[in-house]
Parts: sequence; structure tokens; C-alpha cells
Amino acid sequence: MNNIHTAAMPAPALKRMRASKLNLLLFLTGVTVVAILPLILPNKFYLRLTNEIMIYGLLAMSLDLLLGYTGLLSFMHNAYLGIGAYATGILLIHVFPESLWLAIIGGVLITVLISAPVGWVQVRTGGLAFALLTVAFGMMFYTVGWKWYSLTGGDDGLMGVPQPDITFFGIKIVSSGDSFGIYYFTLIIVLGLFLLTWRVVHSPLGAVLEAIRENEQRAAFIGINVRLYKLIGWMMACGLAGVAGSIYILYRGYTGPGVMSAFAGAGVLMMVLLGGMGSLWGPFLGAAVFIFMQDYISTMTEHWEFFVGLVVILLVLFMPGGLAGFYGIMTKPRGE
Amino acid sequence: MPQTIATLVDIILNSLVLGGVFLIVAIGLNIIYGLNRVMNLAHGSLYALGAYFGFTLVASGLNYFVALILAPVAVGLLGLVLERVLISPIRHHSIVYTLILTYGLMFCLDGAIKFFWGVETRFIRLPDFMRETVGLGPASYPMFRLVILIAIAAVMGALMFFLGNTRFGMNMRATADIPEMVSALGINVRFVQVGAFVLGCVLAGIAGVLAGPLFTVFPIMGHEMLISSFVVIVIGGLGSLRGCIYAALLIGLVQTLAEFFITDLAMVIVYMLMALILAVKPRGLVGEGRFE
Repeated sequence: MNNIHTAAMPAPALKRMRASKLNLLLFLTGVTVVAILPLILPNKFYLRLTNEIMIYGLLAMSLDLLLGYTGLLSFMHNAYLGIGAYATGILLIHVFPESLWLAIIGGVLITVLISAPVGWVQVRTGGLAFALLTVAFGMMFYTVGWKWYSLTGGDDGLMGVPQPDITFFGIKIVSSGDSFGIYYFTLIIVLGLFLLTWRVVHSPLGAVLEAIRENEQRAAFIGINVRLYKLIGWMMACGLAGVAGSIYILYRGYTGPGVMSAFAGAGVLMMVLLGGMGSLWGPFLGAAVFIFMQDYISTMTEHWEFFVGLVVILLVLFMPGGLAGFYGIMTKPRGE
Repeated sequence: MPQTIATLVDIILNSLVLGGVFLIVAIGLNIIYGLNRVMNLAHGSLYALGAYFGFTLVASGLNYFVALILAPVAVGLLGLVLERVLISPIRHHSIVYTLILTYGLMFCLDGAIKFFWGVETRFIRLPDFMRETVGLGPASYPMFRLVILIAIAAVMGALMFFLGNTRFGMNMRATADIPEMVSALGINVRFVQVGAFVLGCVLAGIAGVLAGPLFTVFPIMGHEMLISSFVVIVIGGLGSLRGCIYAALLIGLVQTLAEFFITDLAMVIVYMLMALILAVKPRGLVGEGRFE
């Protein structure tokens, strides 16, 4: 696939290392709003919903790193959230019931180690076969999570995951099961990873990934090892998804094979589309809209699946740039 | 000893039936891709729709073989509408958009199936003579599987004749190779491309009606089939019809053997095999796949 994003994809703006003042202001406002939200929200339900939005926003951002920056499509990126969640949960149950940090680091490491051979096979093919293979491997992980009863708990899911205290160099910060504490813990990790990813896509590595997205052959001609950099992009995205999975099991205390299903994968893809690819912050907005909508529509109709499909079709046909695309049009300097 | 031979005959025939169903679904997907450069992720749902149309037609009193002709026609007409309304406007956009669009379409069709037919498992009623078993030497084999095997062979034979010996089929193969040249010769390439899309949908419908009695009919039956046909297409090479045939028969055999010996995680073996083949031959078994 020599040019995966052609028409309808907004032209990439020239990258500046410094964000504009308006963007910085909006970013700080957004973070402040999320930070003070638990203090003003009326009940715990919305607290948990916002927590879930942050976790799925992180997952959608990692998919955006793959889709919007490297130009590779993964239909079942939620599989790597699932692997991270299962790995962290199994480590918490069997290996480190006391130490949360070791379990999280171990869980993310396991996710990256599993994604490496999968990615190695996938990058050997072109962009289209890559996308098809993500479905095949994702379904494989789903099947394993569903059928390997002794390790994953099968259909019932992984239950009885301990929720240890969150400590920082021996100082207890959050006692176990405190949803306020977990909310701020999630916020800090998601914020840190967002800034890290922002830094990565504005580094030379990010430029190489975008060069591969724009034209694989030309990138190869100037001496870039396309397969290696695709693999690096893939493993970064899977690592981020693994972190999202670790926080997910910390916040839920439970995970089932449902988080790895193809339908959940479509949801993640829709968050990225809704928010707009190639913007990093768009997917968070997309996750917020999607999760609130899911919560609202699923109370009214059992045919939620049909509406998800319909919205995906309408988005592709009429709004391929997503919400970030609108923002880009609004703030574009005149005369361009 | 007769027991072993009976098992062997059973495995060979079962793998041919399974591989044949994979082949019809995958070759339809491959023809659509080869001419339209659209990977239709809703193909599995069209296959499920074929099975449901077949179920409804048989339940309303028609013969199974009449349903085998009418249901694919209905799926083909639906495919024509989908092509005109959804696929056509975004054909020239990047392949990522067509993938995502057809992914959305897949969930829409699945939702529609659940809305119209409910979530419970359905069974297609077969004619009486197909419910017996036939003796093959020391082995005995269900009649309906044998009939389905013959039907698969007939469909593939007809498809090969169509692609190899008729004017429209030849136009199709030429368009898959060099559309600009075919267009320069005064042939309406758009018409050929739409024809290929409808042909692919008809094949999915045929496979659905044939697979109905084999695997029973349930709403997400298309998902498994879609994934198996991805595996077949990727192993055979994107857009390669020859590779598709070999790959379908190979996957049918491997999956039947894996299900016979280790049952539960049979698909994992199939994916391992796929990874192995791709590591050695990234362009598919016969090495003529497109590299996109």
C-alpha cells in the first residue's frame, strides 16, 4: 500500500515543537475540568463513568498513534487492553498480591512481549493484510481468554482480583478500593502518558512514522527500515493499550472476555473516528462522547449494535475528519 | 482396521466440505477485492443473511434446492443496493475508509438479523432423502454432506467456466489485471466492477444456504466465517484465485484435523500455521498475491 491515506484525509500541518497558546490554554482547561470533576459531580456513578472515559481515551489514543500517525489499522486494539488487564490481574492474584507497581509493570511487559511476535508477522505483509491479520489475532486472543478456563476463568471472567494499596516509595497514597484515589491515580497516569506520546510524535521518531504513513516506498528509498519502524509503532501502541488494561483491572477489580470482543473493538475504532485521527487529543473527546452515548442509548434500545454500525457508516461518509477535523477547520489561519 | 479407514474417510470428506465452504466465501471476497479494491468486511454478514433467507424460504414450504437458487439471488440484489449506496461513493478514498465503512456495515447487518430473526439458533429443514446415510465401503457418511459436497463442486465448476469461457468472465479477469487497458478497449469497467461485487455477494449467499444444515444458523455465524476467509485469502495471497483454492483446502484439512485431535483450541493451530506461512512466503502460497 503506497499511500494509505489519500483523499479526505486532512493534509498534515507542519509540526511545531511548541503548541500554540490557544491549544495550551484549552489543554490546561480540559485537565483542570477533569481534575475538579469528582468534587462537583453529584454521585459516584458519574465518577466511575469519567474514570472509564479516561481509560478508554488512553486506549483510543494508542490506536490513534497506530492509525493516525503510522497509518496502520488495527480492528481489535481492545485485545491488548484485555491482555494487559488479564496479565495484571493474574499477576496480582498469583504472584504479587502485595505490590501493585510490580504487577502493573509485569502486566505491561507481558503485553509488549505478546505483541512483539504478532507484530513481527503482521508487518511482513502490506497495510491491508495487516488490518485483516489484526482481526484474526484479536479473535485468537478472545478465544484463548474465553476457553482457557483454568487461567482466565473462561466465560465468568477473572474474579477475586485483590486491590492493594497504592504506595509510592513506601508511602501509602491511596488505600485499597477508594474510587476517588483511583480516579486521581488514573488521571495522573493518563496525563503522563499523553504528554509522553505527544513528545514522541513530535520527535524524529514520530516524523519517521508519519513518513511511512504518507508514502512507504519513498520512506524506504531514503533509507528508513520500514518494517522495523512499523513494528516499533505497533509495540508502542500495544504497550499503551497494556497500561490502559492495567488501570482497567485496578478500577473494575474484574475482567471478562467481553472486553476483547470484536464488537468492543469497533467501539474503540469509533472513538478514534469520532474524535478525529492524527490529533492525539481527539480520541479522548471521542471516548467521552461514545461512552455517554452508549450509556444513554443502551437504556432505550437493545439494538445498540445496529446503531453503532450506522454511526460508523455515517461518520466515514460525512465526517471523516471527526471532531478534531472541525477544530482544525475553525482555527486554520486565513489565506491558506 | 476398518475402523481406521472409516475415520480416515470421514476426516477427508469433512475437510473437503469445510474447505469447500471456506473456498466459496473466500473466493467471493477475493473477486470483490480484485476488481474493486474494496475489502468487504460485511461479507460474513451477507453469508449469514444467505443462510437466514434460505431458512425462511424452506420454512415457508419451498424445496431446499429452490431456496439454494432464490436466497443467493436475494443476497445479490441486496449487494447491488449496498454497492450503489455505500461502497460507490467512497471507492476512490483510501482503503482505510472502505475497511472502516464495511466494518460498520457488518454490525448494521448483524443488528438487522437479530431484529428480524431473533438470537435463537435455527435449523434448515432438509428433504427426506438427504437425512439418510450412505455406505462408502467400510465407512458410512451422512447423505446431506455428500450432496453439499457435490453442490460445492458444481458451483466451483460453474464459476471456473464463467471466468474462463464467457465474455463477461474474461472481461472480469482482464479488469482485475489492468482496468485502464480494458477501459481503453471500449468496455464499461464500472459495469464489470459492479457485476463482480454482485457475483461475490451471490457466492456468499450460496455458501450461507449450503452451510446452514452443516453448522446450524445463528446471528453471528458470519464472524467465524469472515475470519476463516481472511486466513484463507492471506495465506493464498491477496487477489490470487489459484492461491485461494489451495489455501481453502489446506485450512479445511488442518482445521478438521485439529478439531479431531485437540478440539477446543483448534483455531490457534490454524493461526500458528498462518504465521508460519507468512514468515516464509509473505505473498501467499503461490507467491502471486498483491502487496498492498
